[in-house]
Amino acid sequence: MFDQIDPRSPTPLYAQIASRVRVAVAAGTLRPGDALPSVRQLAARLRVNPATVVQAYRDLETEGFVELRQGAGTFVREVRAERRAGERAHQAATLVRRMVAEAGRLGVSIDELHAAIADEIGAKSP
Amino acid sequence: MTNAVEIRGLHYRAGKSFEIRNLDLTVPRGSIYGFLGPNGSGKTTTIRLILGLLRARAGMIQVLGEPMPLRAPSVLARVGFVPEQPHLDPTLTVRETIRFREAFYPTWDGDWAGRLLQAFDLDPHHPFGKLSKGQQGKVMMLLALAQRPDLLVLDEPTDGLDPVVRRDMLSALIDYVSQHSASVFISSHLVHELERMCDWIGVMDNGRLVSEMPMQQFKNGIKRLLVSDAPADAASAPFAVLARDRNGATTETWLVRGWESPMRAWFDGRGASLQSIVDLDLEDGFVELLRTFRAPREQEVR
Repeated sequence: MFDQIDPRSPTPLYAQIASRVRVAVAAGTLRPGDALPSVRQLAARLRVNPATVVQAYRDLETEGFVELRQGAGTFVREVRAERRAGERAHQAATLVRRMVAEAGRLGVSIDELHAAIADEIGAKSP
Repeated sequence: MTNAVEIRGLHYRAGKSFEIRNLDLTVPRGSIYGFLGPNGSGKTTTIRLILGLLRARAGMIQVLGEPMPLRAPSVLARVGFVPEQPHLDPTLTVRETIRFREAFYPTWDGDWAGRLLQAFDLDPHHPFGKLSKGQQGKVMMLLALAQRPDLLVLDEPTDGLDPVVRRDMLSALIDYVSQHSASVFISSHLVHELERMCDWIGVMDNGRLVSEMPMQQFKNGIKRLLVSDAPADAASAPFAVLARDRNGATTETWLVRGWESPMRAWFDGRGASLQSIVDLDLEDGFVELLRTFRAPREQEVR
């Protein structure tokens, strides 16, 4: 889940970590009551500053995705279906914004982009 | 709260060719401070000054709130050091090396040393001198961590080691830091490793500290701008122009510092247009910083 964090990206690492958790909650990979790795575990695994993980978890708590139980750890909260759908829509919008920008740089038109998406989806689910 | 390391007005000279002039450096307590600079820029010299291994001509060094080198014995008891080159007896086994070191540190954590020995997959009966470079690096890290220091000073601890060894060593370091909230001062050429874990960055070049600031500020502030019909005079710009290069009949690439997005309005008011803004990662930022620092026409780098 955290394997693709990129220290070279302009998006700060804490935001990348928080985003991975939000995506996993929205997709249902993380279920209510599931425990997140401890700050110590995750920081050591990703070789990032422990403060970075603390900030990611704190942001997720403020947004209502997780709760910090004193001495026990960080757990995923019950997130309503609409909220999860909203998060997926947000991820989709981000994905498309990035794709459209990149297409612009490569000189690919919107029609060509549409055609390529239709092709790809057709190929994936006949 | 005092700083982990504080250097003010430091002057040091070795021979005629190399000197450190008027060095100010601050490592906030609890931070992981990445110390960057090209070979020969004075990183190792600065580290040796911090540890009291060299004498400065002038200036003040405080480590963990105590003056160096005056209070070296009590300070060094709380500092873990991983030097660039191992300086251990090659004939002692790993076990003997650990026992020898343990005797000097009342804070020594024998249980943890044992766990690290396993985690690092080290054979305790092997002589240190016969270990691979990566295994030697792991022993050095083990020794520095098991003494439970308040400050770790690491001089290129993972440079030249393979990725698996580097991961193991840095994971152990981070694991230690998250338990003991120790401060870390680490120099390395492996910029992407520093980019992951450091929250402060200092850059040395030619015996001077070129830049020192929080990592996020360092990364956010420096941008590469593609500008068409660029104005000749940028003196009134709300950001600092570090360098500008012409790369076409009407376009220029600007390297700027202190950039914030509303500043694009400055170009609109001058008949210029901003084509794109490129974020720089730490390595690009570092390279560009040195390039502009060394260019004689630029003064506005600090």
